[in-house]
Amino acid sequence: MSTESPVAQGHTRRARLFRVLGPNALPIAILVLGVIFAVAQPAFLTADNLIGIVRQVVLIGIMASCTTFVIMTGGVDLSVGPVLAFGGLVAFFCLNAGWPLALVIFAGTTSGFAVGLISGAVIAFAGLPPIIVTLAALSIVRGAALTIGGTDQHLINSWPDYTFIGSGMIFGVPFSIFIFAVVALVMIFIQKRTPLGLLVAAIGDNERAAYLSGHRTRLTKMLVYGISGFGAALAGIIQTAQVHTAIAIYGPFGTELDVIAAVVLGGTSIMGGRGSVARTLLGVFFLGIVNDGMNILNVSVDIQLIAKGIIIACALGLAARGN
Amino acid sequence: MDRPLIRGIDLTKVYGDLVALNTANLTVMPGEVRALIGSNGAGKSTLIKILTGAVTPTLGKVEIEGEYAPLGDPREMIRRGVACIYQHSNLAPAMSVLDNIYLGRQPTSHLGLVAVKRQRQAARALLDRHGITLDLDVAVGSLSTVKQKEVEILKALALEARVILMDEPTGWLSASEVGKLHATIRALKDRGVGIVYISHMLDEIFAVCDTVTVMRDGKVIAESAVVDIDRPRVVHLMVGEKLARESEQAGQHKRRPRGTGEVRLGARRLSKHGVFTDVSFDLYAGEILCITGLIGSKRTELLRTLFGADRFDAGTLEIEGKRVSLSSPRGAIAHGMGFLPEDRHREGLMLDLSTNENLAMATLSRFRSGILLSARRLSKSARLMIEALSIQPPDGNRAVRLLSGGNQQKTLLGKWLTLSPRIIILDEPTVGVDVGAKAEIYAILRKERDRGAAVLVVSSDLEEVLTVADRIAVMVSGRLGDVRDAEATDINALVREIGSQAA
Repeated sequence: MSTESPVAQGHTRRARLFRVLGPNALPIAILVLGVIFAVAQPAFLTADNLIGIVRQVVLIGIMASCTTFVIMTGGVDLSVGPVLAFGGLVAFFCLNAGWPLALVIFAGTTSGFAVGLISGAVIAFAGLPPIIVTLAALSIVRGAALTIGGTDQHLINSWPDYTFIGSGMIFGVPFSIFIFAVVALVMIFIQKRTPLGLLVAAIGDNERAAYLSGHRTRLTKMLVYGISGFGAALAGIIQTAQVHTAIAIYGPFGTELDVIAAVVLGGTSIMGGRGSVARTLLGVFFLGIVNDGMNILNVSVDIQLIAKGIIIACALGLAARGN
Repeated sequence: MDRPLIRGIDLTKVYGDLVALNTANLTVMPGEVRALIGSNGAGKSTLIKILTGAVTPTLGKVEIEGEYAPLGDPREMIRRGVACIYQHSNLAPAMSVLDNIYLGRQPTSHLGLVAVKRQRQAARALLDRHGITLDLDVAVGSLSTVKQKEVEILKALALEARVILMDEPTGWLSASEVGKLHATIRALKDRGVGIVYISHMLDEIFAVCDTVTVMRDGKVIAESAVVDIDRPRVVHLMVGEKLARESEQAGQHKRRPRGTGEVRLGARRLSKHGVFTDVSFDLYAGEILCITGLIGSKRTELLRTLFGADRFDAGTLEIEGKRVSLSSPRGAIAHGMGFLPEDRHREGLMLDLSTNENLAMATLSRFRSGILLSARRLSKSARLMIEALSIQPPDGNRAVRLLSGGNQQKTLLGKWLTLSPRIIILDEPTVGVDVGAKAEIYAILRKERDRGAAVLVVSSDLEEVLTVADRIAVMVSGRLGDVRDAEATDINALVREIGSQAA
């Protein structure tokens, strides 16, 4: 329009820039960081290092994929760390009891699923806020893990089938990466292709309206916490298989922050509503590259923590502008 | 001759290719109540937003008491005495009236503490000067809706507002509350305050306004003193030739009391303790039954109970002659029942989801194949519905938030039509919807009726009730009166019945 003032034009040009940049901010940031790290330290781009990055994010990646639905419903799951430890211990004791591998994995993941369902039931049916309920679960499950596992390190050396989950390689790629890929693909599929995926977004957008549209909103909410617990326990099994040890203090404080940061960096609003598992994965890789790059550049741990926090805050600020 | 309080001169706003406002002029004199009317999307909101400083016009100027005002600066507009009261409350419900009036700009002592005494004195003076009675210490959330509006007006007056813009101020008020609000407006007018009154309710325009500005398609198309214009002329101006004709014809539709003669939904002495008592009626297939009454007569509660969203304590509900007990909306939907709630934003729509997704929301299981949701069948069904209801713009992938009020309402209605409902229950189906969309919604309801659905409408708008109803019942304080044929009653009889026990 010829009538537009220069001010208005400048404004729309900037708005347009943000519209284009906003949704792609994360891939662009990943690329930019990649280039910076590669220039600063050529070792960054070696196949070993890249596979290493993915291997490093397997645990957070599985948990973030599985907890994206929780955040899409407008909730949050703070209990993923202890559930990870608990799932690993349950698997260890089942192994010790001589159970077959399939049953061990089933029992381990089911324990996490059950914990999630219980938190979900309290949230959905008693109407308590997710942040409080999962904070309580965080404490209870850590306590439970310490009760069954004590403070001992439970070595897992005599079960090569089990440790293969964490340390085995197929075609030079760690087996755990295949598990991560399958979990991520299944979650993406559920989110994009099944009624559950749409329902989860609908509940986060307007739970009341979803209920009045005839949906089982409470059961659905219960289920998404179950899925989140499943993911945490699966991560626990992988971790115990990676380090050949189960301990009650795995998944320390901060695990839940990494998981939530990955989901929110991926553009899922912490208030609920639309979200995307695929974009959560971008968030996961972004955090992974930041960690790895700083390690390669020999940045000390204290500075790493500070830098990570600042980067997350900036990325979120940019994403908010884009919307 | 007085100077105008505010004058918008040749205001134009362009968004990309869309001219939202085209060289619009608006003047408000001291003590003038000016109605601003037009369909949704006519440019009223844009004009108002320019006057409040929320939007910077592409072209044009705003003059306040003869001086050019800086554009796009909300704080400066407030400082110069322009205040706006929005349709939805902007108050903090848990805080007291007094705190709300001075929220964010409490007078402070030199120590930086809130000067409680001074604040209270100022508020008292304000109340006295404008003849408003309010308890300053009660929480705003405990006040009736009309009292909350008064708090918002006070808040504006505390800012020494000379011009108050009111966007649909009566959207959620009952008839008697509207009367109270109008009394307040007349008092303000006597004090020389200028008011811009935006409303879809033409009755209100004729009751309280001095002058009227009609907008259509981003332009001001007519200005007149209210005494020089009549209702049909206003409707004509607002909606244009074609829609006006359709809306006139709408009044001449044949009524079909008791439809096909088959009782689809039967309520037998339904009671809910402390809410409604002994409600009995038959809803026939192929008819539109309207329940009217004041806000607070528990009509909404009755509808929610029928739909299974709430329980009743006593009585029975029958669907097609069989006794049913509905424990959730899910059960009601399984019986072919649809429910359009009054508040489409809070209870109806997922605003950030697309039109397609919203249209499919009550019927997701129909679009399943195995464990998959068939996006293809879902969007095909949605496309047919968007065409059938002429939802604008016809792009099903847009977020519903971006649609106008009328099109949002049609989307919500479409969600239930996708179900091909056997019973459809609607609570205030045209609240906040413009005249054109109203006529369309009435046509949709008639079509559903003719298809054989049983339609139950709750509405406070008597004109609406008399337009669409085949039969009418009045609800007063939780009791339902006799159901009458619409032909056998008129507006006066209804008003008498509504007022019968209210006093």
